[in-house]
Amino acid sequence: MKPHFLAATALAAALGYAGMAYAEDEDSKLVEPLAAYKSYVADHTEKLLENTTKFTAAVNAGDIAKAKALFAPTRMDYESIEPIAELFSDLDHTIDSRADDFEGKEKDPKFSGFHRIEYGLWTENSTKGLEPYATQLLADVKDLNHRIENLTFPPETVVGGAAALMEEVAATKISGEEDRYSHTDLWDFKANFDGSKKIYDLVKPLIEKDNADFVKKVDENFKVVDDTLAKYKTADGYELYDKLSDEDRKVLAAKVNVLATELSTLRGKLGLN
Amino acid sequence: MSAPETGNGKPSAPSARLMYLAVAAAAGLVLVGGAAFYVATLKSHHGDDASNIKVAVTSKSCEPNEISVPAGERTFEIANTSDRPVEWEILDGVMVVAERENIAPSFKQTLKVRLAPGDYEVTCGLLSNPRGTLHVVPSEEANAAPTHATMRSFLGPLSEYKFYLGRQSSAAVRTAKDLADAIHAGDLAKAQALYVVARQPYKRIEPVVYRFSDLQNSIDPVADYFEKREADPAFVGYHRIERGLFVSKSLDGLAPVADRLVGDLATLDERLKAMKMTPGILIDSAGNFATQLSRDRLPADKSRNAQGDLSDIEANLDGLGKIVGLLRPVVKPVDPALAQRIDTTLSETENAVAEHKTGIDGAAPDAPDRPGQRKNLVAAFTNLADALNQLPSAIGIDSNGT
Ligand SMILES: [Cu+2]
Repeated sequence: MKPHFLAATALAAALGYAGMAYAEDEDSKLVEPLAAYKSYVADHTEKLLENTTKFTAAVNAGDIAKAKALFAPTRMDYESIEPIAELFSDLDHTIDSRADDFEGKEKDPKFSGFHRIEYGLWTENSTKGLEPYATQLLADVKDLNHRIENLTFPPETVVGGAAALMEEVAATKISGEEDRYSHTDLWDFKANFDGSKKIYDLVKPLIEKDNADFVKKVDENFKVVDDTLAKYKTADGYELYDKLSDEDRKVLAAKVNVLATELSTLRGKLGLN
Repeated sequence: MSAPETGNGKPSAPSARLMYLAVAAAAGLVLVGGAAFYVATLKSHHGDDASNIKVAVTSKSCEPNEISVPAGERTFEIANTSDRPVEWEILDGVMVVAERENIAPSFKQTLKVRLAPGDYEVTCGLLSNPRGTLHVVPSEEANAAPTHATMRSFLGPLSEYKFYLGRQSSAAVRTAKDLADAIHAGDLAKAQALYVVARQPYKRIEPVVYRFSDLQNSIDPVADYFEKREADPAFVGYHRIERGLFVSKSLDGLAPVADRLVGDLATLDERLKAMKMTPGILIDSAGNFATQLSRDRLPADKSRNAQGDLSDIEANLDGLGKIVGLLRPVVKPVDPALAQRIDTTLSETENAVAEHKTGIDGAAPDAPDRPGQRKNLVAAFTNLADALNQLPSAIGIDSNGT
């Protein structure tokens, strides 16, 4: 590789491209963080499969209390890999879409996945009729886990995903729309933040030398978010979303917006635009 | 639900790309990143209203629901004429190429995306609405095919291979431990069953493992390489255990050999996890290993049980297939004919292995091959190796120092 790299630099100099020496050595540094991220995702989908198996078993057994208790913790492993959900958009639709995505809303037979089951458990307070959704959810999660095992992650999707998810939280999730029947949104938030932060943390060593201010700001903003969420931590999870004070909601909304903007520059900083 | 991808689906502006191509062609090299930034400042205006491709998302579908555009960078203007917020996505199979989410009713959003020729699906508002079709036809703009792969195009494949190596080597350690446990417990039948399983992960990563000759010599040496062959005290590793399990049918003396194997595999696991990934690992390994198989190994069956031999070949081919799959998107743009040839020879080899399997299944475990079968197998692997050995020159990235 070296001779070509030198040639590139020489040619770059000849043509007057000052900043062009972003060549192989710099570039291949992304391989380690990307491989580590793949492990992170694969671990989470494995855990998701394990927990979804228990969750759907509770639904099928008609054990409402147990199903409700398992709903939010089970979802966390899904929500933590949402930065790359566009790599499996079909499954994202069947696993995690909202009633608004369907013409007949909650009554639409195509409305499926976690939120369809959530609707049954909380709004209808029953497991009646949920079995087909539970069966499909488990099948979809199995499919997801299997697909992830062999999927090559495009680097720009991974790095771009950290910001994109924060944008989505800021644009829609912050209203409490995602878990509107159970109000377990803070669990999702925690997982979303952890999932985006994981990507940022993995690439941070590659950029901190040249972007000390940026890194300091992003770290601070993630910390404010974490500290705010920590206030709502309970023995086995998080308070319901309506417990979130207006003030803290504002803090979260503001920080998520800032994080979305800041993280959207990561691709550029890593030469992935 | 999915995170929105609001930027370009694919990287780099066309002018940057053309410039890059010119430079790359001149020097026969790869470069990314900085150049794009420089050229971006020279870039003329794109996406003025007239050249935008206009799509309306109604409550029932997209209008038009079928669009044809030339390949290259295109700007779509998506108008939401329904009464709820919608998303508009371009899908390549199940993968989102680009999307705009949360377009409010009666609002317009633009989406700029670099599109390669092919047919794409488009989501149109509600998930229950029919999908639209986007035909992207070849264009001059997109025709300027690169002559060399870029380091950038290797990032995904190399990361994935690193993950794969780690998974397989961890599995090799874990399954060897299970085998060692069965041997320590004196359970011959269980050890025999676990042996074949334990070898699989190692065989999948063998294209890379052969680089670590010290470990290979203690993990997987053949008896013939030792002065006293099977009786040589230095004869260790998988085949020493295999000999005990399937030839002597005794666990005598196997426990320390199994423990050593676990230790050596753990060392291998550490080395693979620390290994620096370079394109050469993918480009060179597959061809080298397929050559070694077809020339040295397959003609001389060194395994002591036919079923085990077949499992080895299957796992080896699995590992080669993984590399081929990872290189496909890198090779295809620079040498479509070679990409095709590799795919064809790979599936012919898979067929040859499957045929071989039919021959062995049903036969006694130690039955010899049917005549001709091994010859077919060797021929298939030879063709595959020939194709894979074209990779270094086709890909054009210099792969020294691996
Ligand atoms: Cu979600």
